[in-house]
Amino acid sequence: MRIVADTGRCIGAAVCALAVPEIFDQDPVEATVVVLDPAPPPETHEAVREAVERCPSGALRVDGSTVSART
Amino acid sequence: MTTHPPLPQAPERQLPFDPPPEYAALRASGEVVRVSTPAGFDAWLVSDYAGVREVLGDGRRFSARPGSTAHVMPGFDPESPVDDLFTRMDGPEHIRIRRNFAPQLSHPRRLAELTPLVQETVDDALDGLKGAAQPHDLHVNYSRLISTTVIAELIGVPQESRHLFYDTAKALFDPTGKATEELGPALLPLYVYMQELVAARRAEPGDDVVSRLIAFNAQAERPLSDHELIMMNGALFIFGFDVISSRLSGGLLMLLSDRSRWERLCADPGLAPTAAEEVVRFLGSPTGLLRQATEDTTVHGQPIAAGDYVVLAVQSANRDTALLPDGDVFDMARKPGPHLGFGHGAHACVAQQIARVQLTAALRGLATRVPSLRLVKPLSEIECRDDSTARGPAEVPAAWDEVLPR
Repeated sequence: MRIVADTGRCIGAAVCALAVPEIFDQDPVEATVVVLDPAPPPETHEAVREAVERCPSGALRVDGSTVSART
Repeated sequence: MTTHPPLPQAPERQLPFDPPPEYAALRASGEVVRVSTPAGFDAWLVSDYAGVREVLGDGRRFSARPGSTAHVMPGFDPESPVDDLFTRMDGPEHIRIRRNFAPQLSHPRRLAELTPLVQETVDDALDGLKGAAQPHDLHVNYSRLISTTVIAELIGVPQESRHLFYDTAKALFDPTGKATEELGPALLPLYVYMQELVAARRAEPGDDVVSRLIAFNAQAERPLSDHELIMMNGALFIFGFDVISSRLSGGLLMLLSDRSRWERLCADPGLAPTAAEEVVRFLGSPTGLLRQATEDTTVHGQPIAAGDYVVLAVQSANRDTALLPDGDVFDMARKPGPHLGFGHGAHACVAQQIARVQLTAALRGLATRVPSLRLVKPLSEIECRDDSTARGPAEVPAAWDEVLPR
């Protein structure tokens, strides 16, 4: 799994950062998304997918299958 | 001229706990149909989860310009000038304004700072119930008190000026159909107040949201103008107190009208966060949201012409089996999912995180300190307010045995 973030689209709703704080944070000033681990460990994949689906702005995308082939 | 069937809505004064029954068949068919809106114009109605999410999520094809609830505001002209109101902006213009809010309202570290303020507000409101004459209206004296206090404390509006926001909200959402041009005088007192507030904060910054917005934006290529700050904070206040308190009061009625629900929350107040989320999924945006097509396009194969209005039936979409197999069930322990109760897309509720904190603290507060709480009227006798597009209860008439100490 690879997380792709489009900070130009992010509105800083904080849905991802509050749901999976070990993977997502927000910029301390702008409050746009910061992906702490773009190739997250398999045990977080479900939570990451759910957070991406709950993101209102469409700023987040996950590429790849559940196998984190690119780590 | 063809007349289209009216937009399905809850009967006047009836609380919209469920979307009108017509929606079940509509969303199952995935059909996009033509309706006439209460505001008098025609619109396409989208009522399923995938369709509503698609339209709200695509600000390029679907503009927010007409105003998100103009379809239920007969006096409001969706073609009127946007006048710096960020809720009606699109694209980069909208993002420029919208970006200012997250550091103040939703950054996790900022939320952690604000949570004690919310908790204190809730505890004060609960203390205020001690010795109150019963039955007591918890909408005005609890829900609205909490939502108003939190946003007023954030913006820095003292107690004696808060009524300005109630008066303005009432005028703004007057369902009797004021002409748009008459809204000017109704908004003037609030505008003048906010103008003075912004000037005062420019002269002497504090730790409030207005001062923070000014400071945050000072280095921007195009810093926020006074007019923009007034419109941003005015909107924040009016939506902030009205929508949040309507949801909280609606949620209280849902919980208190079914004793087994209330007892479950009292037995396990740790359910408050999921209960709050479920209230928003269940009751969020009962009027639906309005958009306008920017180009000739289609939704579920239905051609929609540039300029056509589109109503997104959010409450119906949140019941879609595509989202949840049992979406018509209110389940306070439900795991939060991608529901659309706070909207979706670039215009999703700007205060959604602070709203979650408030709803959670307010529900948990009553469940832990006033477990004997009960409604004194049957649900069928409680009316829906007719002076707000938030469609909340006019009252939450309640009684209790005692308010437990903090």
